[in-house]
Amino acid sequence: MKGLELIGLEIAVIAAGIAILLLDLWTAKEDKRRLGYAAALLVGVIFLASFAMLFEGRQEAFHGMYVLDEFALFFKRFFLIAALLVLLISVEFADRFESGVAEYYAITLFALAGMMFAASANDFTLLFVSIELVAVCFYVLVSFQRQRDRSLEAGVKYLITGALSGGFLVYGIALIYGTAGTLNFRELASLGPEVLESRLLLLGLLFVFVGLGFKIAVVPFQIWVPDVYQGAPVPTTAFLAAGSKGAGVVLLARLLYTGLRPIADRWGPVLVMLAMLTILYGGLCAIPQRNFRRLMGYSSIVNAGFILLALAAGTADGLAATLFYLAAYLYGVMGAFVVLCLARCPGQEDETCVLAGLHHRSPLLAATLTLAMVSLAGIPPAAGFFGKFQVFKAVIGQGAAFPYPAWALGVAVFGAVVSLYFYLNVVRTVFWSSTSESVAPIRISHATRWAVYLVIFAILWLGILPGAILNLAEYAVHSMGL
Amino acid sequence: MNVGLHHYLIVSAVLFSLGVFGVLLRRNLLNIYMSLEVMLNAANLALVAFSRFNRNLDGQVLVFFIITVAAAEVAVGLALIVALFRMRRSTYVEDLASMKH
Repeated sequence: MKGLELIGLEIAVIAAGIAILLLDLWTAKEDKRRLGYAAALLVGVIFLASFAMLFEGRQEAFHGMYVLDEFALFFKRFFLIAALLVLLISVEFADRFESGVAEYYAITLFALAGMMFAASANDFTLLFVSIELVAVCFYVLVSFQRQRDRSLEAGVKYLITGALSGGFLVYGIALIYGTAGTLNFRELASLGPEVLESRLLLLGLLFVFVGLGFKIAVVPFQIWVPDVYQGAPVPTTAFLAAGSKGAGVVLLARLLYTGLRPIADRWGPVLVMLAMLTILYGGLCAIPQRNFRRLMGYSSIVNAGFILLALAAGTADGLAATLFYLAAYLYGVMGAFVVLCLARCPGQEDETCVLAGLHHRSPLLAATLTLAMVSLAGIPPAAGFFGKFQVFKAVIGQGAAFPYPAWALGVAVFGAVVSLYFYLNVVRTVFWSSTSESVAPIRISHATRWAVYLVIFAILWLGILPGAILNLAEYAVHSMGL
Repeated sequence: MNVGLHHYLIVSAVLFSLGVFGVLLRRNLLNIYMSLEVMLNAANLALVAFSRFNRNLDGQVLVFFIITVAAAEVAVGLALIVALFRMRRSTYVEDLASMKH
């Protein structure tokens, strides 16, 4: 059947998940933790295999529902790297699960498959199915520490808000289908502005945006973020911040830049307004936070605002900036969560005492966390600086054509300055805060050490020599016909 | 009386609003969950009606996917709510506020 070779990467990921579940049956209880290395290895092999996929330009399968182009491949590789790092982190975290360690790895892989399908979705059917595959997997992943009160509470909160946004998404798709008569993005674009501007269709689009905005954590669909980030197991939080947000971004980008291209002047201003609200809300709420995980939640909201700002530009530059920004954000988040996972205090909820005096316990982790914070704050020479620079460039490059350019720039600068404060506050706690209890140095396993090196290397590489990834992003954007 | 597309859409809109209000106003997790399912079924009804009157089968295919996904979501969701009930002995949303700062 035509098309099966195009979804080879996704099939491989699902097969890897099933293989982990099967291997679980023949693994002794004390070795189950190590299955995570097997899963990470498989993901790494699939990542390398993605470069061997040779094809001529853009290919479609399943009646145009699934599309494979450089843009999709960029995001597939992004998700694969995110999953690889998450799996390595979760091996360190595995002793905090009461049972079902192998299932945790397998469900992470299934969520990864959903994200990879999302990267190729060119149709509302595949958009819905992939977004729900990711969501259902995350309901389980968030509440995986069943014996822990907060994990369950976070899971239920994520479930209710996620299902609510899913309901809006489906109803929005129904309205769009009713007015346009098609579910395909390409056919939607060919309908012309008069159909696309009908009120029922715009209402439907608004509802679809509720579903996607929930994933990206855009104000006003962000209420779940701080609680879920705080309650979920650390690897899940990392995957939520990088992977789930990325899935929302790729779906939104493809919908806006292919299906809704003819009415760009309609969605541009709405996106800019929401982006400004998101940056302001996230930045202001992050200031009083003392809990590191809640802080990362609000940081995730601020970053969602910047991503939305870049998307709103509606140009090839804006989309390339989005891609680069996401890549930089991935390593910043992973750097923070690797440290959060390794540095824990026995007998305590792993939040309060992990950061204070970290540089006594492990200089490597302290350096990683500092670099991650510097990158997220957007200070050169880290990756985040160049990401923010690209976003500003895309906004300014459009000049007066960008909706509310002065306001947008002002809010973005304000957001960048505020986040400087709360990220550097974390660095201050790591190096200059006094610890009362004597703490043992942290032991880091070999695999995790490599993950840490990878994160450090990537942050510096993207910050100092951004050309390669930027070329890749521009190439990806070009493949969408922009 | 001739039943046209509008009638189906009105029923679907009413169902959807009932679902949204149920989610926002109810305090019991099981009631909320039921309201969420009503929202999904409102969308299903609209999709099938549109599909019939547009003479295009894509909408009905999507409905099959929605039903399947909803079943999976219910299985996971109810399991979660049961696990929460075992721990807290309550399914009311007021009791879900242990995480603030």
